[in-house]
Amino acid sequence: MDFLYSYLVLAEIYVLLGLSTNLLVGIVGIFSVSQAAVFGVGAYIVAAFVMGDTLGFLPALAIAAACCVALNILATLPSLRVSGDYFVVTSFGIQLLATAVYTNWTAGTGGANGLPGIPPAKIFGHEIVETSEFLVVATIASLLGCLCFWLVLRSPYGRLLKAIREDEIAVAAAGKNVLHAKVSAAALAGAFAGSAGGLYATFLSFIDPTPFDLDASILLLTMVVVGGARTLAGSIIGPFLLLALPQILTLVDIPTTIAASMRQLIYGVLMITFMLFRPQGLAGEKL
Amino acid sequence: MLLLQLLVNGLVTGCALGMVAISFSLVFATTKIFHVAHAGVYTMAGYLTWSLITHGVPDALAMILSVAVCAIVGALIQNQLYDRLERRRATPLVVLIASLGLLAVMQNIIAAVYTPNILQFPSPWSSRMVSVGSIRLNYTQMLTVVIGLLAYVATVQFTTRSILGKRIRAVASNPFLAEITQLAPRSVYVYVIAIASALVALPGVLVPLDLGLQPYGGITPLLTATVAMIAGGVGSISGAFVVAVGIAVLQNLSLLVMPGEWSIGVTFFIFVIFMLFRPTGLFVAR
Repeated sequence: MDFLYSYLVLAEIYVLLGLSTNLLVGIVGIFSVSQAAVFGVGAYIVAAFVMGDTLGFLPALAIAAACCVALNILATLPSLRVSGDYFVVTSFGIQLLATAVYTNWTAGTGGANGLPGIPPAKIFGHEIVETSEFLVVATIASLLGCLCFWLVLRSPYGRLLKAIREDEIAVAAAGKNVLHAKVSAAALAGAFAGSAGGLYATFLSFIDPTPFDLDASILLLTMVVVGGARTLAGSIIGPFLLLALPQILTLVDIPTTIAASMRQLIYGVLMITFMLFRPQGLAGEKL
Repeated sequence: MLLLQLLVNGLVTGCALGMVAISFSLVFATTKIFHVAHAGVYTMAGYLTWSLITHGVPDALAMILSVAVCAIVGALIQNQLYDRLERRRATPLVVLIASLGLLAVMQNIIAAVYTPNILQFPSPWSSRMVSVGSIRLNYTQMLTVVIGLLAYVATVQFTTRSILGKRIRAVASNPFLAEITQLAPRSVYVYVIAIASALVALPGVLVPLDLGLQPYGGITPLLTATVAMIAGGVGSISGAFVVAVGIAVLQNLSLLVMPGEWSIGVTFFIFVIFMLFRPTGLFVAR
């Protein structure tokens, strides 16, 4: 049962990440391969605070989310001024830089060996140790995320974002502040990714650079591509399906040395196939 | 004379990086596709050459063969992937995601076949050292400089003098007009990606000949080359090459003050400076 619970918890954490990536890639329409790096910032910040016993879980989560908001704003601001294509460089750059920091800054992140022994989350004096209890926390967090995403999508602000995707110049000509709208969407994406990171670190009680590297960012992008861009359903279906994939792969007899490559290979094939034949994903709108 | 040695090392990596930059610049300026899978072609060239050499093909022939294969692979990528997407009126974002998917496929096929560990070339000549004064270089590094400069001159000559080169520049500057005037942009795109893939195969072989092969080693050079292309001015071959050499020299000099793991930070810092102060690049393309 614990196995199923931990799959559900991870899937719910990745739903938050899916929402974050969907906001950037699907709704604002900027290509991003750095959401895993932002996710990592959230995870390491929460881990540092909780391990040092300087702050409780919830305040640490809030600080992590705030830092990720700031990071995403800083990342998008200079590139959006110029051209969408250049955001690709920024995005790759942030991801590679973040991986370099996570692996080489041994004092802060434990380097490639990672940070073991992150204490369990304590919420209102209650320590969450059991997976089933954490499932409740993760469910509440992901439901809050989904509610937030849904509310944004149906608000006037959400319609503005959709209009920007359709025709940016027309929106600017109508007197709307395009840059402001894009940057605030990126900020919201940062908040989602940061909170997901905090949940991830305390749930697994161990973090290393692997879940925050470029391959992880590609996985997040695949989740949005498979699930579908710009819809709530798409951001939920993608993570649940793709996190089940490694479990299915263990049933097929593949040597463990190439298992990771095979998984990434499948993500790549999925990305190409969906872009060629179904760019709207399983339950999304046209990308 | 550590400073001088680092300077020379920077020139060597700069020549390799410059070839990546001009090849990427050719593709990006002409097709407007952010061809991330170019990093996959770069990696593939090295592994292909390694396989041919270990199967007894002479080194030079193996290199020429893999350059040819890369050109064919590049043409296939345009023909089978980008052209199909183009016909479906895919947005640049969709093309980019497909390209990233292709990169993931190429890298992971290589990793699954050759294992993710570093492979060294079985060519003893490549690491033979030569000392000039206090500077030490090996044969591969010298070959990189020679081939890099030749490739640069050849590309500039090709784009300015030859008929196909002029056609490429025409399509790059105005695809609609090129379509009307029977320049057939879609077949030009196939040629451009094929030529660029052949060009990127050169550093793809030369760099691992010196440092060893790694399946995931293509992204960092491609990213650095892209920064060089943007900082040099999109569409300017000379700009891309010169800035690539400049970045490589700066990266090597930065080793004096910080460890090599952070050199991606130097590249990125240069990019941010250019984004803030001169987003059109140093050399504006004509």
